[in-house]
Amino acid sequence: MNNSLPRLIDGMVATLRKEVIPHTEGDFARGQAFGVIYMLESLKRRASWSNEFLVEQLRALEQASNDLSDLAAELLGAPLPDIRAPAQAPSATELEALRNEGDTCISKLVDWLADHRATLPVDAVARAEAKIDHYLNRQSKWELSTSAKPMFVEISSGRERSA
Amino acid sequence: MKRKEGEQQGARGASDRGPASTPAFEDAAILRTRLAEYLSARTDAAVVVETLVKFPAGFSWITYGVRLSGFPPARDVILRIGPPYGLFAPYSAMPEFQSLSALQASAVPIPRTFLASDDASILGAPFFLCERVEGGTPLPWGDQEGASLDGVRREALARDFIDALAALHAFDWRATHLVGWGSGMTSDNAALRQLDFWQSRFERWALKPHPMAHRAFAWLRRQPPRASRVAIVHGDYRLGNFLERDNRITAILDWELVHLGDPVEDLGWAFLPQYRGGTPLVCGLASEEDFLSRYEARAGEKVDRGALRFYIVFSLLKLALTHMAAARCFEDGLFNDMRMPAMATQIAPVFRQIAKILERAP
Repeated sequence: MNNSLPRLIDGMVATLRKEVIPHTEGDFARGQAFGVIYMLESLKRRASWSNEFLVEQLRALEQASNDLSDLAAELLGAPLPDIRAPAQAPSATELEALRNEGDTCISKLVDWLADHRATLPVDAVARAEAKIDHYLNRQSKWELSTSAKPMFVEISSGRERSA
Repeated sequence: MKRKEGEQQGARGASDRGPASTPAFEDAAILRTRLAEYLSARTDAAVVVETLVKFPAGFSWITYGVRLSGFPPARDVILRIGPPYGLFAPYSAMPEFQSLSALQASAVPIPRTFLASDDASILGAPFFLCERVEGGTPLPWGDQEGASLDGVRREALARDFIDALAALHAFDWRATHLVGWGSGMTSDNAALRQLDFWQSRFERWALKPHPMAHRAFAWLRRQPPRASRVAIVHGDYRLGNFLERDNRITAILDWELVHLGDPVEDLGWAFLPQYRGGTPLVCGLASEEDFLSRYEARAGEKVDRGALRFYIVFSLLKLALTHMAAARCFEDGLFNDMRMPAMATQIAPVFRQIAKILERAP
C-alpha cells in the first residue's frame, strides 16, 4: 500500500457514502454500512502502520546501508544511505499489555482502598483517591479526544443525519 | 446483491436440527415449519405461519412479526428469540414471560402473553410469543421521532409513561406466581444484590482492566440505599422501549432485564442523559421535577433524592457494562453486527459522566 492510512480511510468512507449506501436497500443494511464508516473514522484517529511492518523495512535499509558503505572509497561523493533501525521498538501489542498491567494495578489499588478504608487515615485515603481520579480523568480525556464523532442516528436509522 | 428488509442477517449461533451450522431461528423456512409444528401441537389446531418478518431493531433478542392462521388467541403475534450470541446471552424466556403473565391484570400497558419455552430443540433458542400491539416507537437517539415529541403529544405520553411506572412499582407481585422470585430479597439488600449481579457481569464481559468501573463499584458499595419496598423493576424503562398510538402508550416493551429490586432503580435508568432525545427532559417527556412529582403522587411515596443519585450513578455504570458486553460479543466473533463495536466506543464517555458526578459527591 502506497497511500497514507488516513487517506485510504477517507477514500473508503467516501466510497461507502457516495457509491454504496445510496444503492443499498434496507435500513438495517445501510445502518451496518454507517457502522463500518464509524469504525473506520475511529481507526483513523488511533491507527498507524504497525511498528513491526516499519521496523522490518528499516532493518532492510540498515543492511543496505552497511552493504553499500563497503563501496564508499570507490564511489567518492555518492549519496550513500546511513540508516539505522532502532534497537528497541516496542510493538503496539507490547505497549497495550503494559498499559493493561498498569490499569490492573490501579484497579487493585482502588479495591484495596475500599477494603481497608476503615483502618486507614481519612486524609491519606482522600489524597490517594484524588490522585487516582486525576489519572482516570487524564485517560478518559485522551480517549475522548481521539474518538470519532458518534453516528448512532445514522447507524440506527440507516439514513444520513439531516442537517 | 441488495438485501431486503426482513431477510436473515448475518449472525452465527449454535446449530440444532436444521442444516449444518444454521440454527432453526436463523433460517426463515425452517423457523416457519418448526413454529407451525409447535403451535399446532400446543393448541391442537392446524396452525399455519403465513408470514414471518424480522425486525431490524434491538441488540439482544431477535424479534419477528408473525401472521398466523388457525392460532386461536391471535392472528398477528410477536415472536421473541434469545440467540446464544446475543448481548446478554445465555438467555431464558422465563423472566420476561412470567413477569408479563403476572402483570396481565395490572394497569401497566403490556402485550398479552401466549407461550414460551427455553427448550432449544424447538426453535434453536429460548423464545416466547405475545400479542402484536399496534404503535410506533419514538427513539432517544435521533432527529427522527424523538425530537418531535412536543406539546400535547409529549404531555400525554409523559402521563402514561410515569403512571405505568408507578403502577408497575405498586403492583403486588407477592400475590402472583412471582412470589418465588423474592427468596431472600429485602429492602436492605436489594441494591447490594444488584451490585453483585452487575459486578459478576463486569468480570465476565471486560476485555481489559477498567479502573473506573472499580472506582464506581467501590463508591456505590459505600452507600447502598435502603429500598422503600421491594418491587418489580423493569430494568430498561426508557424512551425507545414503549409503543405509542394516537398520543397514548399502547405497550411497555423489552422486559428482558426485569427483576425484583428497589423501584428507584427504574427512575435512575429513565433519568439517564442518554435517553433524553437531545432535550433536558427525562426520556424527552417531562422535566425532572414534574416527573418526580407525578410519580410520587401516583406511587404514593416520596422518592429519596440520595437514592436517586445512587441509582443514576449505578445506571451509568450498568450502561458502561452493557457497552462492555457489546465489545465482548463482537470480540468473541459470535456477532458481526456493527452496532456492537459502535456501542463499545461509548464506555469512555459514560465513565466520564460517572467521574463528573463523583467529583461533586461526598
